[in-house]
Amino acid sequence: MIKTSHRTPTLLLAALGVLSIGVLVIDFWPFLQNGLAGQVMFTPDETDFDQILFHYSTLPRLAMAFLCGAGLALAGAAIQTVLRNPLASPTTLGVGAGVEFALTIFVLVAPASLALFQEAFALAGGMIALGAVYLIAAKRGNATLWLILAGMIINLLLQSGTQILLLFNEQYLQSIFMWGAGDLAQNGWEATQFVLPRIVIGMAAVLLLSRPLDLLALGDDTASSLGAKVTVLRLLILGFAVFITASVISAAGMIGFIGLAVPAALRIAGLTRSRDLMIYSVLTGGFTLLVIDFIVRQFNGLGGDILPTGAATALFGAPFIILILRKAKIMPGSQSEDQHSDQEITSKTGLSILLTALLAIGLVFSLFVSLDGTGFAVLGWTVNWNDNSFDIITGRAERTFAAMICGAALAVSGTLIQRVGRNPLASPEITGVSSATALAIILALTMFGFAQRADLMIIGAAGGIISLIVLLALCRKFTHAPHYMLLNGLALTAILGAIVRIVLTRSGTQTSMLMSWLAGTTYFTNMDEVMIVAGVTTVLLIVAIALRRPLEMASLGTDQSVSLGLGITTFQFAMMFLAAILAAAATLLVGPLSFVGLMAPHLARVAGYRLAGGHLLGSVLIGVNVMMVAEWLARNLLYPAQLPTGLIAALIGTSYFLLLAVRKR
Amino acid sequence: MMKLRIFLCCFGLIAIALSFAKTNAKADPISIEHERGILTLPAPAKRVATISWAFTETVITLGLDPVAIADAKDYVDWVSKPDLPSDFIDLGQRSSPNLEALRAAKPDLIITIPDIGMAYGKLVEIAPVLELKLFDEKRPAFETARETLAKVAKATGREAQAETYLKHVDQKLVEYGERIHAVIGPDQKVNVVYFFDESNVGIYGKTSMPGSVLTAMNVPLAYRGEVNKWGFARGEFDIIAPFAKETLVYTNPVPEVVLKKIWNSPMWNVMDFVRNKRVYELPVVWAYGGVPSALRFAELLTESLENGPHQ
Repeated sequence: MIKTSHRTPTLLLAALGVLSIGVLVIDFWPFLQNGLAGQVMFTPDETDFDQILFHYSTLPRLAMAFLCGAGLALAGAAIQTVLRNPLASPTTLGVGAGVEFALTIFVLVAPASLALFQEAFALAGGMIALGAVYLIAAKRGNATLWLILAGMIINLLLQSGTQILLLFNEQYLQSIFMWGAGDLAQNGWEATQFVLPRIVIGMAAVLLLSRPLDLLALGDDTASSLGAKVTVLRLLILGFAVFITASVISAAGMIGFIGLAVPAALRIAGLTRSRDLMIYSVLTGGFTLLVIDFIVRQFNGLGGDILPTGAATALFGAPFIILILRKAKIMPGSQSEDQHSDQEITSKTGLSILLTALLAIGLVFSLFVSLDGTGFAVLGWTVNWNDNSFDIITGRAERTFAAMICGAALAVSGTLIQRVGRNPLASPEITGVSSATALAIILALTMFGFAQRADLMIIGAAGGIISLIVLLALCRKFTHAPHYMLLNGLALTAILGAIVRIVLTRSGTQTSMLMSWLAGTTYFTNMDEVMIVAGVTTVLLIVAIALRRPLEMASLGTDQSVSLGLGITTFQFAMMFLAAILAAAATLLVGPLSFVGLMAPHLARVAGYRLAGGHLLGSVLIGVNVMMVAEWLARNLLYPAQLPTGLIAALIGTSYFLLLAVRKR
Repeated sequence: MMKLRIFLCCFGLIAIALSFAKTNAKADPISIEHERGILTLPAPAKRVATISWAFTETVITLGLDPVAIADAKDYVDWVSKPDLPSDFIDLGQRSSPNLEALRAAKPDLIITIPDIGMAYGKLVEIAPVLELKLFDEKRPAFETARETLAKVAKATGREAQAETYLKHVDQKLVEYGERIHAVIGPDQKVNVVYFFDESNVGIYGKTSMPGSVLTAMNVPLAYRGEVNKWGFARGEFDIIAPFAKETLVYTNPVPEVVLKKIWNSPMWNVMDFVRNKRVYELPVVWAYGGVPSALRFAELLTESLENGPHQ
């Protein structure tokens, strides 16, 4: 058994090893020919540019590629084992976002005299992010689940922070995006010298801890019964994994895919013991990044620009995710802790009326009140009503309605997905449809020069439809529909993320516009679009409410439902399909904004909307309210600057979750 | 064939009649070609809103104060001259100019960029919109800037000022070119680069603003290779290595942290321009600006070269 399970990983490793040797031979070839290989490696001729270039650029880049790949894969293997979740990766815990945020602040405000502390500062950012994630998740019944949720929240919070910083410091955008896209270009051995000892220390520590990791892999109960101090071990292993990740990211930028895919692939290939998984991950990860970086380097200079390795790696890897993770069990046994009180059914009429009243008051406030830099300005009171006022109200209505409709669409979408996926952490973007829609628009805008909003809407819709067809094709076996949807969405989101990072490094004067659109802004929407999306949302909401009984069944769990004689899988798929359409519609309207799709259904359930029909209505009410508030703040908070509504919604949402987490402790 | 001729005749007659009708109108309407076809204004614009620095500086240079300006705060840092008017409405960021503030400014012309083309429909509801490209990859940036100046002048009825100004610019560019030649000598070529970080550098090509202004000054640009959509090439330090014998000018702003790392790196120090002391620092200047920015680039470049190498 063990013998056969090791054959595939060994073959994989051997193949990558041979490829890596090939890379080295090709890179060394000019110096191998004239016998200078030894000289360029250790004592290059300081007057010969070719030798200097090789010694201070190519060689450290090769070293960095191997080290970063090895480190990230090991960190990924450790984190996946600790969290027992094949989709976990170093970036899942907010470390990447933490390091990025810290480094962004550093680049924007730190004086040159502090240059020495740059990487330490970045490291601290990653560690603090992990600390926050761990503090939120610690001592909870389902720590594995909460870690991922907390990681997601911290990620969103920090990414929103970084984006706001960047929107107001456009002059350094290009440099930060280059780093953000994972750039392995080297100028000297400084980065290698920084990364090497840290990775060696981190690896040694993680490998030492790898025996207890095998106990952890059996689950909390088993590990506890064997006497291992689960929490301390978790903390230690995660700490070292993050230490490695933060070192790599602060030196080379965001290279996310390796940490996710390499250990996952190895596990699927048959490695189950954590010690084996670690050792194989180190080598496989190193060789993989070395080979990918070699391929990426061949594209440098094409079109007068560079191709960032990190983003390109994700681009290579995203389709691969679908292939390797088809067999993996996703979100094993994830259950919400709220479900313990699911049986309690109470009427929420009072709350619904309150929310509706809030909505009405908020709407009037949104349309008539603004901040104009000096204070509150109330149309028709502090500001006289004039012939412009009606146009101003119309403009505000356009944007406020767009935000509200988007909130409603995502709330319905999120509720459906959380219900049929029986996963309180699922959100609309996991269908991948909003990513596909956004991807189509971004490509049309930047690569093909479409600038007309109407054209872009049609192209975006086409992108969404194509991805729905792909979804259909991938989900032919209905029994696995939710899993395939998740994988599909994950891969599409990864592809979008990679392309966006590449596009942002090379979009010149368009960068800030793209950023605000990607964060979700109502700035560009018009009333016709709002009306169309409102119509679609209303119809689908009515359909969903009409189907509330089977939806209730679906939320109870497949086994029960099937035993009740319900064609649950087809139904699950249909609901996912509805959710995907809603997500795409919302994306067309305001861009790929989705935190509301996670938050509104969650809030509604916490507030006590338990039954499917009420849950739908409750989350719509909450989603609409939240987006209305976010929209007003986005327009007025930093007047005259117009912030992306999505950023504010994300800040509101993450703050809420943080408060909730702190209070629950 | 006959039919076609008759048709053409009729068409011609109609055209003549139309143009006659036009000249009989009170004030001559102005037609300007822009990204959305032809913009027709009933009269020269007086209250102009500018969404990009290039338009802001161009309008001010033509002697008209814009009533509403986007990205005004950063203008002071990046463009700095000409001075902003004492009174105007701040529109916030150019990626999403505040529409309520814009409406309150009551402009009779909005000059904007295709980058926010998605908002065109909203802008057009407020006032006539002139949408102009700041940079067209197929043409030298300086040429595009001159054309922008001409179009803005036409829209604001300041064609005479524009003509005088362009003559002044041409004279100045020739003068600066001669002064630069006096510093660098007859054989030296110049490269203008931008440090993205300690390992990546951008080098401006001949269509970029720095490149096309150098051409207008008759100063030879060393880099002739492939460029990206924005007129520069980007890569690691090996892309500037072939020009190590020439003169190198780096633009700002670059974080101090990054500069320090570059000055200490062997790859930088092996380059001939470092050893020959042919590296110059250029103060902050906007590379996607209008004619005033182009002139400022030329002036700052000349002063920088005359003041001597950076270290």
